[in-house]
Amino acid sequence: MNNTFNLTRFGKLLKKTLLERPMHTFGFTGLMLVISLLLYFVIKTFSHLGMAPHIGMAQTITFFGGLIGGSFFLASFVFGYFSSNASGSSFLTLPASTFEKWLCAILITGVLYPLIFLIFYRIMDSSFVAIYHNSLDTASPFYKEQYERVYNFDLNGIIARNIYVMFFIYTGAMLLGSLYFNKAAVIKVALVLCAIFIFTFGLNWLMAIGLFGSIEDAAPFNHVAIRAGKEIGSLELPSRVGKIFLYAIVFVFPTILWLLSFTRLREKEF
Amino acid sequence: MIEIQNLSFGYKKRKLLYKNLNLNLEAGSIYGLLGKNGAGKSTLLKNFIGLLFPKEGNISVNGFEPKKRWPSFLETIYFIPEEVYVPALTVERYKNLFAPFYPLFNEEQFQSYLEQLDVHDKGKLNSLSFGQQKKFIIAFALACNTRVLLLDEPTNGLDIPSKIKFRKLISGVFTDDKIIFISTHQIRDLDNLIDRVIIVDNGELLLNASISEIADKLCFKSVSDIPSTGKVLYTEDSLKGHAIVIENTAHEDSKINLEHLFNAITENPAIAKSIFEY
Repeated sequence: MNNTFNLTRFGKLLKKTLLERPMHTFGFTGLMLVISLLLYFVIKTFSHLGMAPHIGMAQTITFFGGLIGGSFFLASFVFGYFSSNASGSSFLTLPASTFEKWLCAILITGVLYPLIFLIFYRIMDSSFVAIYHNSLDTASPFYKEQYERVYNFDLNGIIARNIYVMFFIYTGAMLLGSLYFNKAAVIKVALVLCAIFIFTFGLNWLMAIGLFGSIEDAAPFNHVAIRAGKEIGSLELPSRVGKIFLYAIVFVFPTILWLLSFTRLREKEF
Repeated sequence: MIEIQNLSFGYKKRKLLYKNLNLNLEAGSIYGLLGKNGAGKSTLLKNFIGLLFPKEGNISVNGFEPKKRWPSFLETIYFIPEEVYVPALTVERYKNLFAPFYPLFNEEQFQSYLEQLDVHDKGKLNSLSFGQQKKFIIAFALACNTRVLLLDEPTNGLDIPSKIKFRKLISGVFTDDKIIFISTHQIRDLDNLIDRVIIVDNGELLLNASISEIADKLCFKSVSDIPSTGKVLYTEDSLKGHAIVIENTAHEDSKINLEHLFNAITENPAIAKSIFEY
């Protein structure tokens, strides 16, 4: 018997994981899609009484919240067996390999949910954009301008790509965190992320102030905006160093988080 | 089937719960692991199944190293913790999702065990009482036909008729190619069920003996006066005088009282070791 991966066994495991707690998987996914729809609608409608530019805001916030929020919580569910001795034991002693259990979690949070969300998001976004376009007065002299101000959210654009990176980091952190924190993992991981965020930005800010005195803005591993009189100048990392940090944040850091969750699951004692 | 060599385990590095423990458990016996609260009974079981890893030493179960938690190992062993986990599924759904992981799972046996334990399919499992949930898991575990079955305080939460049914069922399904390992502090629940007794205390193995060996070496009886000669391991005042546990030098037949045995061994570990040449 293959103790690392067996396709039949993996199929059974995936089926068991999805159907064992359907409210945590299907129910939550459905809830996230409904929340995304409502969020999009509410922001679009009330942010400036339906003015065109705010559809862009609705698109971004919904994409961010739906993708990252959904996968973050889902990641806490897929390894969320350790809140009790009984369920933790049941999960770890189920005859499937650690790799299969990990892969199952990865597949649900990193592939299935994002895929469902992206399909739903594309349909929802296209519908809202089409509704907006159809609502325009074709006889208006501003028709063309108004029409072109709103377009479908670019899933390959810079905003989307930044959100993908955050998705990989936050989901990876949650997968890893739920294997360290047996109880209230979501809250604890969120607190740890906030602490890291505040510490990194705070330290960076203090260092920038220490080095340059008066600063306007300081983004870790990216740039420092220095104030000189009324002028503001931006000091950026050298291109080569910047690229190294960019690759580290985009590829290395998320990969480490996702792989560490496998190592942690393998070494998990309960 | 279960071999433990120089096992050392502790939740804290400086405070070991077990130190250099050696134990061999052969198939064909129902073992009763007795110990006080906090003696490390559950910990030992968790080491067997691979939920906890030894700090030092080796454990081999069915020829596997539990720490690796290989599927081929986990198929051969089932662990029922003190508190059981049942998701919000019906009996049928649970069976369909979990049974395929156990190649020797037997559907007919499962239904029969549920019947014997009076677990009836009434909606979702998580709506059953704790005792019913536990009986359901016991029935499922037995139907998996694993070579090793580990039960941690299995009678906790069971009413008196259920405890009797549990004992009947365990003794009924037991076969010589299996190990059933029951850890409990409710010693009376194991009466007439186990054929080997293991007693641990303060991280030390105090006794590992068969029921016949115990009956051969110790005598459990009531006396009006406590004898002044012989190795008396335990005395307890009773209505008829004193219940005592004494070295069986006269080769008397007596019925083992597990509670008295436990007290005798834990109160006089040195004498017990000398009697059992352990």
